[in-house]
Amino acid sequence: MPKRIIRLCYRKIIDVSSQKTWDKYVFESTYAEFLLQVQFYNQEKKYNSFAEVLLNTPAAEKLHFLVSAAVTGYLQQLGGRVPDITDNLGKHSLTFKNYRFEMVNSNIKNKASHQVAINFFSEPLTWHETIGNYLLVSDPDSEKQDDHILTSLLQLQPFLSICSLKEETI
Amino acid sequence: MEHTRKNFLKNFLIGSASVPLILAACKKEALTETGTTTGSDTSTGNCTVTATETAGPFPTITPSSLVRSDIRLDRTGVAFTINITIKNKNNSCSALSGALVDIWHCDKDGYYSEYGGTSMQAVNYTAVHFLRGRQVTDANGLVSFTSIFPGWYQGRATHIHTHIYNPAGTSLLISQISFPEGSTSAVALVNASTANGYTKGMTGYTYNASDDVFKDDTAGAQTGTVTGSVSAGYLLTVTLYVAA
Repeated sequence: MPKRIIRLCYRKIIDVSSQKTWDKYVFESTYAEFLLQVQFYNQEKKYNSFAEVLLNTPAAEKLHFLVSAAVTGYLQQLGGRVPDITDNLGKHSLTFKNYRFEMVNSNIKNKASHQVAINFFSEPLTWHETIGNYLLVSDPDSEKQDDHILTSLLQLQPFLSICSLKEETI
Repeated sequence: MEHTRKNFLKNFLIGSASVPLILAACKKEALTETGTTTGSDTSTGNCTVTATETAGPFPTITPSSLVRSDIRLDRTGVAFTINITIKNKNNSCSALSGALVDIWHCDKDGYYSEYGGTSMQAVNYTAVHFLRGRQVTDANGLVSFTSIFPGWYQGRATHIHTHIYNPAGTSLLISQISFPEGSTSAVALVNASTANGYTKGMTGYTYNASDDVFKDDTAGAQTGTVTGSVSAGYLLTVTLYVAA
């Protein structure tokens, strides 16, 4: 019987409307880093928006990587737990070791248009079934307690997706 | 019989009146849930269970991970110290303090840190931004970095990228530092040092006079002074002039 191992991906958007302290720190930190780094790709100072710089200077694709240096410290403060996503018991039980930072939009003259995304990739989970709008999952490495395994219910919601699937035959 | 029927109906009506309200509340909040994951608290009372956990983590403001003087991270190679002094042309060439100096260079094999092909970055792999660093000049206009001697790649002479900003973050200078050449130069000796992992030697190397960025710099204004040895490590000293 095949066992399905998935990874969930949560794309957290941080912009001027973000309210949580952590989000605001990331907003400020990434905007400051963007203002420094973008100057390398905009030496003639022709453009103001990230989109225009990217369109006209393909090498500016590196900005996703370069600005990400501003978030590594904040990511470590999360203690390996994916923020915002809670299971049906109200706990942040989804863990992550991998992420990818994205510059979404920004503007040298308009801080309010700054928007970044942090893609959190969950650790592998066994996907047992879907109950209504909830995924019944478990840690593939967890030991069986007697003849049962510990599971949790995660609600499918905007910005949360299954981003990888592996079938294993047991 | 009728009494109980009346009671039953009364209770039923009360019950049935309240149930739709609950259902409506759930449904209504479910429709407004799109706002929850874009930055606001998940505790907006929709059908998702409100987060109920011990408070934390408590975020603290953290500077960019680029702010460090030891930029080696996981890269190996011949020990290398980079001392850069910034002077201000607009102030009689005196030392400029408080300037931000970003440097970056390739590793011994000619690779720069950047996002790899895989879409995922490991959060514990802190070496992802290797050989990139930022320091602020002191009263003497000096910044110092601990690194490894750079390698080289096809089409370019050995170089270090620099980007100098004023204290407000405005770019002052984007430039590159070149290295002295010759059979006894650090570039030649380090690249011959297979013991330290430099495997290319000088075969196919582009020298400064042929390098697109350095060929115009016949006076060597962009060239640092390099002293030391392969065993003890090298020190590069250079002064860069900006108009601040």
